[in-house]
Amino acid sequence: MSRSQEISLDTVRVRKKRKNKDTWAIIGFIAPAFLIYGVYVIYSIFMTFYYSTFSWTGIDANMVFVGLENYIRLLQDGVFWTSIQNNFLLVIASLLTQLPVGLIMALLLFSPIKGMRLFRSVYFMPFLMSTVAIGILFIFIYEGNYGLLNTILGAVGLESLQTAWIGKESTAIWAVIATVCWQFAPFYMILFRATIVGIPEELYEAADIDGASGWQRFKNITLPLLMPIIITSAILSVIGSLKYFDLIYVMTGGGPNNSTELMATYMYKQTFTNFNMGYGSSISFSMFIIAFIVTVFILLGDRTRRGNE
Amino acid sequence: MINKKIFWLMLVTIMFVFAACGPSDSTGTDDAPEDVSGDTDTETENSGEDAEIAGDGEQITLNLWHIETGPSEETIEVAVERFEENNPNVTVEVSQQENDPYKSQLSVAMGGGNPPDVFHSWGGGWLKQFVDSDQVLDITDSVDASLYNEAALSVATFDHNIYGAPVSMDVVPVFYNKDMFEEYGLEEPETYDDLLDIVQTLSDNGVTPFALANQTKWTGSFYLMYLAERIGGPELFNEAFERSGRTFDDEAYVEAGRKIQELVEMGAFPEGVNGMNYDTGQSRQMLYTESAAMMTMGGWLVNNVRDEMPEFEDKLGFFLFPSVEGGEGAKNHVVGGVSPVFSVAQQTDHPELAAELVNELASLETATEMANNAGSISAVMGVEYDDPYIQEMSEVLESSEAMQTYYDQTLPPELAQVHLDTTQALFGLSMEPEEAMDEVEEKAEEVLEE
Repeated sequence: MSRSQEISLDTVRVRKKRKNKDTWAIIGFIAPAFLIYGVYVIYSIFMTFYYSTFSWTGIDANMVFVGLENYIRLLQDGVFWTSIQNNFLLVIASLLTQLPVGLIMALLLFSPIKGMRLFRSVYFMPFLMSTVAIGILFIFIYEGNYGLLNTILGAVGLESLQTAWIGKESTAIWAVIATVCWQFAPFYMILFRATIVGIPEELYEAADIDGASGWQRFKNITLPLLMPIIITSAILSVIGSLKYFDLIYVMTGGGPNNSTELMATYMYKQTFTNFNMGYGSSISFSMFIIAFIVTVFILLGDRTRRGNE
Repeated sequence: MINKKIFWLMLVTIMFVFAACGPSDSTGTDDAPEDVSGDTDTETENSGEDAEIAGDGEQITLNLWHIETGPSEETIEVAVERFEENNPNVTVEVSQQENDPYKSQLSVAMGGGNPPDVFHSWGGGWLKQFVDSDQVLDITDSVDASLYNEAALSVATFDHNIYGAPVSMDVVPVFYNKDMFEEYGLEEPETYDDLLDIVQTLSDNGVTPFALANQTKWTGSFYLMYLAERIGGPELFNEAFERSGRTFDDEAYVEAGRKIQELVEMGAFPEGVNGMNYDTGQSRQMLYTESAAMMTMGGWLVNNVRDEMPEFEDKLGFFLFPSVEGGEGAKNHVVGGVSPVFSVAQQTDHPELAAELVNELASLETATEMANNAGSISAVMGVEYDDPYIQEMSEVLESSEAMQTYYDQTLPPELAQVHLDTTQALFGLSMEPEEAMDEVEEKAEEVLEE
């Protein structure tokens, strides 16, 4: 009796010891990444909020505390609202074009067409190009007087559609969004393709035995198994679109007349061109809040979807 | 046992990583002086031989940031070499930066307490922003003001104190294609009505009258500055800027805006003008391919032409923006600007040496080389020009009765941005002139009357 008790106590002790050891090892492994994450992400987020409560040029030693005044000003700033609107346009356009186009391209790459390898490289090419190069390339494609797009439209007799694509407020944002989608669709293609490769062949064989059509195979096997990666892609695409900066900066600089301004480009302009570090920080922090809320919603939606299954 | 070993191994690794990160961390957060002296220490260790040759114990490093390219970059480098020869114990680390990124780069460096000792600017409102933040050294006592063109020096003079020395200046004429003018029987215009006739003739013949790439915004600003001056006279801007009389929503500004929109409606500018970028050469291409006949641009256009299509220079003529009948301005009032201006950062450890470097960069010798190699008008007096084109340009500047510096460099950055944005909107016909000028005035009240 007493002996067996002793033994069990011993095992508990050993287990505890092992557990302690494990904890230390885990901390040891996590610590470096966590420290970097802490300094460059968490601390930065708090500092951004801290700066956003000041009226500060960013170069001056003198910082004036203004509380939430920057945020009140932000809510009354027409350009900021335009930029939010443009960001959401970009989000919607990205979700509705990049993911489906990426999926279609991924599926196409599995169909028995000659020269598959060539297509695979060609489809992926836009994503390999530097953003600045793409931006300048498309500036010339969209050019109003001798641009490629207008020339093609003219050649096929659609002169009435010719316009200065990025020079007009009404078309500029769409022209840039189209370019963004062109650039990023291949990225999702690669993600989807990798996942499709991982789907066990047996499932398709079983479907064949059951006499499933191509569409049924896609609907009942490929799509459900792709769902997790689609959700991940959606989050990536939404967050990416909310933070988007590069092509706008290169192609239009937010113009004409702020019609293509995004939150990130407006933040840059306020912070570094207008010397409003405080105000710029309040834009950054608002971006963070918006992206955070949107992500929470997507994750909640995903959880309910899984719950329903 | 094995776990323990791994744990210690990891701990050591982490310590090592942090030890390695340590010094660079401290340079990032600590004050500049320590950082610079740290640099100097390593410099002395590394370049012991150099120090021996110099026969001087202390090695000093100065940092210089500039944005010159091509021939003018070489000129800067030659000037730095001269300075290093005269000061053998000093090494100048020259860092050439790109125009637009430079602006944010410098403000980050200033704000982070780690600025270059000597830096480039355009004078005006942008430099003043740094002066107001106590980031720029007053070099009134180190600079010989009598060396410089008065108008050029004034862009870096605030409250009678000099904060920078100018090297070169530019004026903005209207460039035109002489062959095309001859072909359509056109002559250089004297009045604005003449100019309108030219615009009409050219557009009737299917030629775009003015090549303009206005995504860049400052390019279109030239037209507003000239029209406003021609209508409201040379004092209009100063009164509005100094809040001593007329304002930015003055009738003259509104009228200038109307005239721009009138030109746009006549087809004076290319299709989609607001989407075209000067830096990627879109407007110059129109000039070179003769699909456009004129371009209002700074004298540096000639530099671009020599670089991109040298044979085009033969066809290139220029005239000054014509006067508007009934207006208060005159044809010999020019829009122009100064660049580069070199200033010393307040936080430098070697103020005397840095000021000396500024004097070398803005010396007669440098300015002469700059003028003759890079084709810019000298801001230093007494330069002899080899290049007939620059000679002609500098005569234009000398004979002009008034010089208007670029609004976007004279105004505080925030106000300048509003001016540029609203002017771009005028060209896009998406804003009424009254509305645009009201917006500028509203911002001016907020920014200038603090």
